[in-house]
Amino acid sequence: MSAGPAPDAAPGRFPVPAAGPAPVPVPRKRAAFESPAVLAEREAAPPTMRRPIATSLGAVLVMLRVVAGVIWMVAFALSWRPVLSDEFGVEVVPGSEDDQTLTLVLVVILVVAGLGLLVVALFGLAVYRGSNVARLLVMTFTTFSITAAAVDYFTGGEEITVRTTLLTLSLDILVMLALSSRAARAYARRPRPKRRRA
Amino acid sequence: MSGEGSGAIGAEAPPAPRPRRFSVNAVLDGFFFVYAGIAAVWLAWLVFTESFAFGWWGIAFFVAFWVLLAYLVLPRLHRILTTIYVPDYFIGRARTSDGLLGDPVNLAVDGSAEALHAAMLRAGWTRADEITLRTSGRIITSTLTRRSYDEAPVSPLFLFGRQQDAAYQQEVEGNPARRHHVRFWRTPDGWLLPGGRRVDWLAAGTFDRAVGFSLFTLQVTHKIDADTDVERDHIVATVLAANPEARVEVLRDFATGYHSRNGGGDSISTDGDLPVLELDAVPDAAAPPLGAAAAPPVKEPS
Repeated sequence: MSAGPAPDAAPGRFPVPAAGPAPVPVPRKRAAFESPAVLAEREAAPPTMRRPIATSLGAVLVMLRVVAGVIWMVAFALSWRPVLSDEFGVEVVPGSEDDQTLTLVLVVILVVAGLGLLVVALFGLAVYRGSNVARLLVMTFTTFSITAAAVDYFTGGEEITVRTTLLTLSLDILVMLALSSRAARAYARRPRPKRRRA
Repeated sequence: MSGEGSGAIGAEAPPAPRPRRFSVNAVLDGFFFVYAGIAAVWLAWLVFTESFAFGWWGIAFFVAFWVLLAYLVLPRLHRILTTIYVPDYFIGRARTSDGLLGDPVNLAVDGSAEALHAAMLRAGWTRADEITLRTSGRIITSTLTRRSYDEAPVSPLFLFGRQQDAAYQQEVEGNPARRHHVRFWRTPDGWLLPGGRRVDWLAAGTFDRAVGFSLFTLQVTHKIDADTDVERDHIVATVLAANPEARVEVLRDFATGYHSRNGGGDSISTDGDLPVLELDAVPDAAAPPLGAAAAPPVKEPS
């Protein structure tokens, strides 16, 4: 906010024009609109800020994304053998070496996916506790995910409906909206008392 | 990421760090803010098209579309656009959290926070609660059951880039849709009104006459009475009647030029006078401190 007028702006202080031809003043121009850089400015926040609803909601949505991942893992494990035999024609004798290999592949896929979900869950927890780095990383991931879905949709003509990927896409976009909101930003970037060991 | 350490925080280091011209964090935040807005527009479109594919269930999708549009998409778009086209200095109007122009500033106060609080309580006004999950839930239950909730929170409006410091209200006939309410902002140190008068507080008082749809965001909001002068004079009259020490000075035609709409799209008309309540002489004893948000409501006999 601008302060009041400067104290030396009292009447009688105006400069007396000097004799002779006055210099032609060149008006300083400014753009006729406000600078959009304000959108990127730091939000001022009181030091003792309560967790805003946007931050809690963002963390909850990240956790819902994890839940969606778990559901996907269960569905994947259940459909592993049927899809292999029906779609790809892979027929194995139960108990054979091939059978054990297929089970091993499934376990590896599930472990990798599970670890990934664990990382996402940890990020959700960090967001809830107000970590700025976690907030920015989660938003970066969701940006890539949304962009990929958008590229598919607008170029490849892939349909996005409730029966396909609308649910995960809307979770991603809602996470973006919640975590990029001004309240969530102010909370993640709030001034913290420095913890310093003596 | 560079966020925490940049700029003014590292003050105890002997060679003062040069202030950074921009931070990566801020640029990322600006990008994400706009990108989320665009993605939300797309999502609203997807949900809208989906609402035609499900027969009667499409109505549920249409409601979801409206919620998405009114509470997420339009506020975000307004925020982005108003940041660019609404100047952020004092123009006699508060702004909504979306950056739209809100209620007109139509009252000023000289006096301490305690004196203001004591004067308002004595005049029969109730301090509004802060907005939390608990109070939001209570608004919904009191609206559904038509019960009175006279400390109901008021929506946040912004002046000097800050949410109101305090808000007071009077319910009318126990109906949560109709109420007198006024928000107070402390002016920044050394700040002067246009014209040079120094005041401690600025206030925006309006009368909520009904619940309806906002013109700009399609949200459900209170609709305010267009004649804001009636509410302004009601506040001044109640404070003067209950506080014999209070005085009022009127700045004539302070805001005569402002006849427009508030953030909900309601039109506003005013004669433009700005009363300045002088509360310096009001005793502030016997009133709970202003900072105590959870202060028990003090019921006045008047």
